[in-house]
Amino acid sequence: MDKLMSFFAKLGAQRHLVAIRDGFVTLMPLMIIGSLVTLINQVPGIINQMFGTQLALPVFISTLNGNIWWGTFDMIGLMTVVAISYNLARHYDSDSLAAAVVSLSSYLAIVPQIITAVSETGEEVAAWGNVNRAFTNAQGLFVGIIIALIATEIFVSLKKNDKLVIKMPDGVPPAVGRSFAAVIPGGITVIAMTAAVMIIERVFHMMMGGESMMSIFALVTTFVSQPLLHVADSLGYALVVVFFNQFLWFFGLHGSNIIEGIIQPISLQMMEINAVAFQAGQTVPHIVTKPFLDAFVYIGGSGTVLGMLLAIFLVGKAKQHRTIAKLSIGPSCFNINEPTIFGMPIVLNPILFVPFICAPLVVATVSYLSMAWGLVGRTVAIVPWATPPIISGFLVTGGDWRACVLQIINIAISFVIYLPFVKVADRAEMKREKEMEA
Amino acid sequence: MKRIMLICSAGMSTSLLVQKMEAAAKEAGVECKIWACGESEGKKQLDNADVILLGPQVRFIKDQMIKAIGDRPVKLEVIDTMSYGRMDGKAVLKQGLALCE
Repeated sequence: MDKLMSFFAKLGAQRHLVAIRDGFVTLMPLMIIGSLVTLINQVPGIINQMFGTQLALPVFISTLNGNIWWGTFDMIGLMTVVAISYNLARHYDSDSLAAAVVSLSSYLAIVPQIITAVSETGEEVAAWGNVNRAFTNAQGLFVGIIIALIATEIFVSLKKNDKLVIKMPDGVPPAVGRSFAAVIPGGITVIAMTAAVMIIERVFHMMMGGESMMSIFALVTTFVSQPLLHVADSLGYALVVVFFNQFLWFFGLHGSNIIEGIIQPISLQMMEINAVAFQAGQTVPHIVTKPFLDAFVYIGGSGTVLGMLLAIFLVGKAKQHRTIAKLSIGPSCFNINEPTIFGMPIVLNPILFVPFICAPLVVATVSYLSMAWGLVGRTVAIVPWATPPIISGFLVTGGDWRACVLQIINIAISFVIYLPFVKVADRAEMKREKEMEA
Repeated sequence: MKRIMLICSAGMSTSLLVQKMEAAAKEAGVECKIWACGESEGKKQLDNADVILLGPQVRFIKDQMIKAIGDRPVKLEVIDTMSYGRMDGKAVLKQGLALCE
């Protein structure tokens, strides 16, 4: 068990996963703003419909929203490259801005430069000198992450090598010398990355045949993203993620912090697809996104602990439990569970182990099925994870009141699951408290 | 004046503790600056702190933080689990100040 925990501890501190996670933390405000405009964008449509005409103000607002979406979600892939590279280079105490710029350049160098446009006569023409938004938004995310990590590794290790730094003669201002320091490492990185990708594309083309060469993006989408999204959008995946999260928290480790670097890249792609479908009024395809977990499973914080706190308020008599519950209920309304987890404590508590693992799993299953059967809308927006339940459900589903009902049902389910265990734990604690007094 | 920085995943739950620690410090008449932040923000503020206390849920970043601190004269410790759970500002303040000695 110790070995397993130290493995997860290492995973949580693994520099590449940390860089990915911190990269997304950096971009979170933009994603939340992008989500916000998705939600606001519903309003002008409704107003226009009410008046049966296109009013100036609603049109202005929806254009504004569209522009902000373009600047946030539609560019999130590019920004991810910069943010992840920056964070990784900073971990190495290297020149993080230079690394970020070099990574972005390596990424853009492999983006296809030709788009297929439809001319006025309806003809399809190839237009050179354009970047398709599919390569700047979350669809390019996997390639972006891989490029950012590899390019940064190469850049950082080359930059450490003194032989590759152009030395300026004495008398040259140090600032000038520094500006040359990144020339050779940066140059080699961009050239090597671009050449490597081109070679991979050509090797695959030779192996698979076919008329036109597939870009690295098409290859990654076909062989990595699509299968992964398929697997990740299942109840099984949701249960595995929830289980690990709970398991780690049971040992007092921040579960979502540790696995975030792995689930975020997948979740974000689903979110983008969902949000686009929602805006277009189409069926929203994906269920198991991060907002799904945050809003419907981890109600009151990991462990769906809000239900447990309510159970303590109802049946708890032990002084310690009531004190902790009173202290924890406030933070828990904002999904902060540390006071509960370390105060009760739930950590290494054999009685509370069962409900702590089971309640979130059951709640995840109920939520998944409700969405799969179309009883509740799916997630289309990202809100801060600390958004209180009921409000969060309404927002992440793009204003579906049934999501609030689902959250209330989930709280009730977790309450029922925790109740008998809370009673047993309470009795044990009462006994201990009495012994202490005696 | 002692400067104590608390770090957890996002700086949320530790910020709760900061309030309690500030109250405890006021009561004890100790002058200190206490604040909380998330892991990545914390690494940027290493020069501003005398003592860094980690939330027990992110204790696995301890080695990484020690490395980031390097030669800086900053002390680092993981907050006692029970004091953390009880949000016991007094005990955690004591832990932090003891590190300053």
